[in-house]
Amino acid sequence: MNPNYQLTDSQDSYGFGFLDEFAKREIRRVILKAISIPGYQTPYASREMPMGRGFGTGGLQLTLSMIGPEDTLKVIDQGSDDSVNAVNLRKFAELTCPDVSTTESTTEATLIQTRHRVPEIALREDQVLNLQVPYPDPLVIVEPSEAKRKIMHGEGDYARLLTKLYEDLVKFDEITISHRYPTRINGHYVIDPSPIPRYDVPKLHQSQALLLFGAGREKKIYAVPPYTNAEPLVFDDVPFRTENFYNADGKRRACNRCGSTNSFLDELNLEDGSKAWQCSDTDFCNRQLARTDAGEVTQ
Amino acid sequence: MKPILEVKGLTRIHGTECPSCLDMTGPEHDTNVCPACGSVVAAANVSFSLQPGEILGIMGESGSGKSTVVKTLYFDQAPSRGSAIFRDGDQNHELFNLNGAEQRWLRNHRFGMVYQNPNLGLNFGISAGGNIAERLLMNDLNHYGDIRRRAGELLTRTDVMVSRMDESPKQFSGGMQQRVQIAKALATRPPLLYLDEVTTGLDLSVQARILDLILEIQHELGTAMIVVTHDLGVIRLLASRTLVMKYGRVIESGLTDQILEDPQQAYTQQLVASTL
Ligand SMILES: Nc1ncnc2c1ncn2[C@@H]1O[C@H](COP(=O)(O)OP(=O)(O)OP(=O)(O)O)[C@@H](O)[C@H]1O
Ligand SMILES: [Mg+2]
Ligand SMILES: [Zn+2]
Ligand SMILES: [Zn+2]
Repeated sequence: MNPNYQLTDSQDSYGFGFLDEFAKREIRRVILKAISIPGYQTPYASREMPMGRGFGTGGLQLTLSMIGPEDTLKVIDQGSDDSVNAVNLRKFAELTCPDVSTTESTTEATLIQTRHRVPEIALREDQVLNLQVPYPDPLVIVEPSEAKRKIMHGEGDYARLLTKLYEDLVKFDEITISHRYPTRINGHYVIDPSPIPRYDVPKLHQSQALLLFGAGREKKIYAVPPYTNAEPLVFDDVPFRTENFYNADGKRRACNRCGSTNSFLDELNLEDGSKAWQCSDTDFCNRQLARTDAGEVTQ
Repeated sequence: MKPILEVKGLTRIHGTECPSCLDMTGPEHDTNVCPACGSVVAAANVSFSLQPGEILGIMGESGSGKSTVVKTLYFDQAPSRGSAIFRDGDQNHELFNLNGAEQRWLRNHRFGMVYQNPNLGLNFGISAGGNIAERLLMNDLNHYGDIRRRAGELLTRTDVMVSRMDESPKQFSGGMQQRVQIAKALATRPPLLYLDEVTTGLDLSVQARILDLILEIQHELGTAMIVVTHDLGVIRLLASRTLVMKYGRVIESGLTDQILEDPQQAYTQQLVASTL
């Protein structure tokens, strides 16, 4: 996003939420369709946004088409509210959606736009999570033709994707996909859950909050509605594994800031050449820290 | 016994097609290209039936329409007209009236195909075992250990060393590639197998072993097969009945022994004479 971007002086020339009402209506209609067919990549007319595609325009269009003055918006990038991208997107929303409040608190937000993470704190029924998606179709790695991919999705034909996992197991004794783990929604469509780590995939399953996925460049919207099954593709005898953050001694690493041992950790390279681990979800980390400071016992 | 496959009037025309296409092509016109519109009549009015467990041979010169017949039956391409009934247990499938999903289901579960060019039948980007795994996964076998075991068994059965199952078939010899293709085709124990020039281009000794393998499979599993070849030796060894094709037409059909000993058509006489 252009950091100097300004709305035109006459505020009337842009409506609330930047998008025109027709665009919003179309996106809302597509969202409803996506909710009705869980996991189905619903095509939509992705609009030009004043930032490059690939910078979260898909997620932003979801956000702008559904946000209202009573909403409280949180924007995160890799778990952080303070990264350049998150700040830019939040500023853009503040600029184009007067009266909307923004927050860094996961629990206060009604609408959360995110890239690469699902918040650590379980979301509620009254919250919606909009995920930014670069590549919506998990089948691209095995089938270049979109027409053929559509048929495969329609028939629930994911044998070639599973063959890819088979080859992984043969070569590496484990499934090596670290992000974008193919996940079957409601027993049929397999989605690319966007570049969230494997750690976050179980959070999609039977989520209380509505989960929406927006791919701006690829012009697709899909959904995991509340209380819907989301199952990572696996073999019957090879269970799905998430990152475990064990150290060499088999002990779970803790966040070196808040001490938490039940969050997704980012690996940091310190100046002295050593490594440290810290919560990737900054809001979660701050909460844990506040509890410790307040004298509550950490786990 | 009722035939497993009954083909009637199978016709495949490449091009715009005009009313003269069928009248002005064929052996008596010495061409399969329609002089009026330039369409290629790859196959015209091909009819035959196949009994369960039987091997039917299709022979004829290059371009006579042999591959066209099996490719339409395997849904690689659609026929211009004609019908084919596939009997599977007590179910009759009218092959060319099925929708795409039904056709793909039969192809993945009930038919097997071995192509002359292993490139068409195998994915060289994955291992030999992976090629077989894919077909097992299509059949809802979802247990990694079971898939490995079954792929290993199939490769052993087709004389491919299990120690090489995790290599890409790209590095295999031509004969081994055909064995992997056969293992893959057999993965679902299909009642019907199409073999299109499986031994063409291989050394004679390699050919002989693959032909033996095909016969063994027929005896063990009772698989019905259509064997396409322009090699009379292959026909003689494998096929109980044979169709002879020329310019898209079946010009002679019957018991292989009779055709080879007493060919009725001058063309068949020539084919037989040329290999004596
Ligand atoms: N896509 C196509 N477009 C036009 N003509 C085609 C096409 N495919 C095949 N043909 C023609 O149809 C005829 C029959 O082809 P087919 O491949 O069935 O012959 P074949 O008997 O298998 O020959 P070969 O022994 O060389 O494999 C040939 O004249 C071929 O050139
Ligand atoms: Mg051919
Ligand atoms: Zn922390
Ligand atoms: Zn014609």
